Amino acid sequence: MRGHVDEHRPRLRLSIVAVVSVALFASLFARLYDLQVVGAGDYQVQAEANRVRTVQIPAPRGRILDRDGKVIVDNRVAVVVAVDRSVLSELPRARRDDVIGRLALDLTGAGNPVSPQEILARLEDERFNRYAPVPIAVDVPEELKIYFDERAADYPSVVVERTALRAYPYGPLAAHIIGYVGKIDPTELAAHQDETAKPYTLNDEIGKTGVEQTYERWLRGTPGLRRIEVDAEGDPVRVISERPPRAGDDLVLSLDVDVQALAEQKVQQGLADARARPNRDGTRNAATKGAAVVLDPNNGQVIAMASYPSYDPNIAVDGFDAAEWARLNDPVNHYPLNNWAIQGQWAPGSTYKLFMGYAALMAGVMAPDTVFSDRGGYLIPGCSGDPHCYRRNAGGAAYGNVTIQRAITVSSDAYFYNVGAQFWLQRERLGGEEALQTHLRPWGLGDGTGVALTSEASGRVPTPAWKREYAERVDGDPDWRTGDSVNMGIGQGDVLVTPLQLANGYATFANGGTRYVPKVAIRAQAYQTDRVTQKFEPEVAEKVPLPPHVRQPLYDGLVGVPVSGTAVRAFSGFPLDTYPIAGKTGTAQVDEKSDTAVFAAFGPAPAPRYAMAVFLEESGFGGTASAPVARALFDALSGVVPLQPAGPNGLPVGAAAPLAPTGASYD
Amino acid sequence: MARTTLDLSRIPSRERQLRTPSERGRRRDESLFRDRAPAAWRHVDLVLLMCTAAVSALGALMILSSTRGTDPDVYDLSFLRKQVFFLVMGVIGMVLVTLVDYRRLRDFAWLPYAVGLVLLALVVSPLGTEQRGTQAWFQLGSFQLQPAELAKVTVVLAVAALLAGSEVPLRVHRVGLTLLVFGVPTALIMLQPDLGTALVFVAIATGMLLIAGARARHVVVLTAVGVIAVVGVLTSDVLETYQRDRLTGFLDQDGTDLQAEAYNLDQSKAAIASGSTSGKGLFEGTQTRLGFVPEQHTDFIFTAVGEELGFVGSATVLGLLALMCLRIWRTAQIAHDRLGMLICVGVLSMLVFQIFQNVGMTMGIMPITGITLPFMSYGGSSVLASWLAIGLVLNVHMRRFG
Repeated sequence: MRGHVDEHRPRLRLSIVAVVSVALFASLFARLYDLQVVGAGDYQVQAEANRVRTVQIPAPRGRILDRDGKVIVDNRVAVVVAVDRSVLSELPRARRDDVIGRLALDLTGAGNPVSPQEILARLEDERFNRYAPVPIAVDVPEELKIYFDERAADYPSVVVERTALRAYPYGPLAAHIIGYVGKIDPTELAAHQDETAKPYTLNDEIGKTGVEQTYERWLRGTPGLRRIEVDAEGDPVRVISERPPRAGDDLVLSLDVDVQALAEQKVQQGLADARARPNRDGTRNAATKGAAVVLDPNNGQVIAMASYPSYDPNIAVDGFDAAEWARLNDPVNHYPLNNWAIQGQWAPGSTYKLFMGYAALMAGVMAPDTVFSDRGGYLIPGCSGDPHCYRRNAGGAAYGNVTIQRAITVSSDAYFYNVGAQFWLQRERLGGEEALQTHLRPWGLGDGTGVALTSEASGRVPTPAWKREYAERVDGDPDWRTGDSVNMGIGQGDVLVTPLQLANGYATFANGGTRYVPKVAIRAQAYQTDRVTQKFEPEVAEKVPLPPHVRQPLYDGLVGVPVSGTAVRAFSGFPLDTYPIAGKTGTAQVDEKSDTAVFAAFGPAPAPRYAMAVFLEESGFGGTASAPVARALFDALSGVVPLQPAGPNGLPVGAAAPLAPTGASYD
Repeated sequence: MARTTLDLSRIPSRERQLRTPSERGRRRDESLFRDRAPAAWRHVDLVLLMCTAAVSALGALMILSSTRGTDPDVYDLSFLRKQVFFLVMGVIGMVLVTLVDYRRLRDFAWLPYAVGLVLLALVVSPLGTEQRGTQAWFQLGSFQLQPAELAKVTVVLAVAALLAGSEVPLRVHRVGLTLLVFGVPTALIMLQPDLGTALVFVAIATGMLLIAGARARHVVVLTAVGVIAVVGVLTSDVLETYQRDRLTGFLDQDGTDLQAEAYNLDQSKAAIASGSTSGKGLFEGTQTRLGFVPEQHTDFIFTAVGEELGFVGSATVLGLLALMCLRIWRTAQIAHDRLGMLICVGVLSMLVFQIFQNVGMTMGIMPITGITLPFMSYGGSSVLASWLAIGLVLNVHMRRFG
């Protein structure tokens, strides 16, 4: 018996059991420590990510105000009918179809046509956040909200919410500067994916054009954040936390709505008058497009910027419909969405002579007192055997002996033909084949002004290099000829400027040579308060050297234009002795079309407060068509004629001309 | 016979005094119910009892936490009520088991064993109910009975009775008979199929044969056969593919395909680990409340402890379970006879294996098999079987002096 005990030794074997048990428990403790104490961090992140889903709550955009705080773009509350997918999915199939069917019927009846198939397609769109109702119809009548609210039991899953939409108290006023907002597209979403303070989701609105686009950073509100707890099936359990949305900043523009309204009206009227007025040769002016820009030469602020034709930004609210979009992009309507003040490029005609005169005096091609004999035309030196070798003055008038001052006042073409020719002929002495262009570029010609509006055109200062390149790329004569410089002398040939460029060039001259980057906004301020969050200070682009002996004759020449020059008729009756105006007319010829009528000016000339440029396409003489537009603006700006407040339709009188239906001819 | 092998000199003198032949003789003459003598009750292992009660209560609390619903402010008490009912039944069962001297139980140990076999046979017949591919339950009204759980206890008792009087070292035919007693219920359980519970039987068999005095070489051979059998089961068609995947899934935890089992394990580990040192607080566990861990109130109840009570809480629970096992081991050591020792070792083997397998599974160091965490997992059969097992141990402990 004892022997057996020795052999089998239960106490030893019990120890084996104990050792095994201790080892197993020890490994459990070790693993527990490893998971909970060493590795907890990663798993905590995972557990949190498991249970939390976030939904963005859209925030209202900031408003857009004029320089005096008048609201140009406001927010209004609109009713949105949406469907809560989590509720809908709980319904039996027949009930679901019934609800969707009746919803489609009710919305269509209320003027928001939609089919059940369209609703279902929208509900299946995975781009909508799973934890937020899917909007079906935006901006439905208020009655529909009451209707659905009262019948909530009949319409399970249908949610009626409110949202902020853009409202335009002044109607189409300044539509091009303001721009419009729309649903963010995938490209924009990708471009903004690193945006953390105000993140975008696919159904968000974003500025598409104008300051709505370029000042998006300030205008966009900070979306609210709703953190929702979900269970293992992904069904929402409760709202954990909610950060309310914060409205974007209000943007204070440099525009004056009243001046803007006047400018828009006068451009429209100027074009209408041009259409009504037959040319000397009996042809009619098409007068289809026009633009006017008013700047403050002391800081580059844009006081007004009109572009015709225009459009009503209300049609952009909640998206353009297809027919509307087609009409806006039909050539027959001259692209109302384009802002011709920065996208339009025209030959400036004689308004260019200010810059040509500057070049001539700075380079020493002409002295201030050099007398030139204007016999009504100019024979290009070294040119023969071609009728184009002799260039006649506009209208064939001969001005006799003129200095540069008089040449500007009367707009002597011969004088400036000669300036152009001499720059080319004496290029060896003057600094090469771009001697002329070197003196033009400081005025901002041939380059975008840098205004915070997109799609700005750059204009063109032609050079021999450009001509060669153009001939290679497109067609034509690759060699720069004296005639090309002659054409440039009067702002013709291949010279192009935008209305904003020209206005800014004159503003630069007006203030003594400081070229500013034009600004459309002055500051951003917290929503519906006066608290400034960002100031948009004046920005100097360039200091143009403008010595008095150069500036004075040019200045005197410009001041003479409304007094005894080409704009006498337009400014007759204007108190020029108390409010002198320095201006220049321009009439740019366009092949087989009526002339582009141009006028550029600043005033009051000795202490300028406004600089402006007016372009009316296919409208005839600058002095006849465009100078009156500028006159009307100066009437109001000088206080001679009281400035009418802008009306709810955006204009002091009348509304924007209705768009022609697609396909209609225009002549 | 086993009693005579005890070394009386190692027992403290006061206890030895009580163990006089006359006293033993008097005991034997007493009736079944007279046996409930105050003397025996004085020797109840209070530590074991307290540990078991504490772990059970904590388990019930965690069941409430994992079944109360997703709403943080509303408590669904239905599972808690049922579990409390099961616990009451378990405690009553335990008390009943302690009433009868385990040496008397030995005489009719074959009866519960036979009942267990019949139930196991019936459960794989059309009378049983299938869930998730395993036919292991009888549906009794709103309750379910899982005979395999109760069979664990009946087998422990039967094998202890069988081996208590065996010659040491065990002869081959005795080992064979023992394996047969284990093998029949194990085979029936594999028909369900429920590999997890079958492995519990293997663990119990190993522990009891070892202690009963099987030769070392027999133990080695049996272990080898067991390993081959498990590998054979895993590679054969006995189990459905998904069941096999479940078992082997833990070997490839970083696998990127989030299949059901990988998801289960991933959420289980996330729940435990995110509890960190001090836990998220009772009823504050998001993995638990929001139902991210499948089968949490049953097989994965430890994840609720891990998440809500943290390392402090789960280590405490493990500590209580370890203390419980220590007390059972100690009872085996001081048992009055081989029968008592074998009962304790059988229960100990069962509990240690189940605890290691279940808790290890939730932490990804053991395969996912559907076995419960004793005392804590939701379920009547499991709770009843665990408490009956404790009843047996208490029985041995309180009667260690004779």
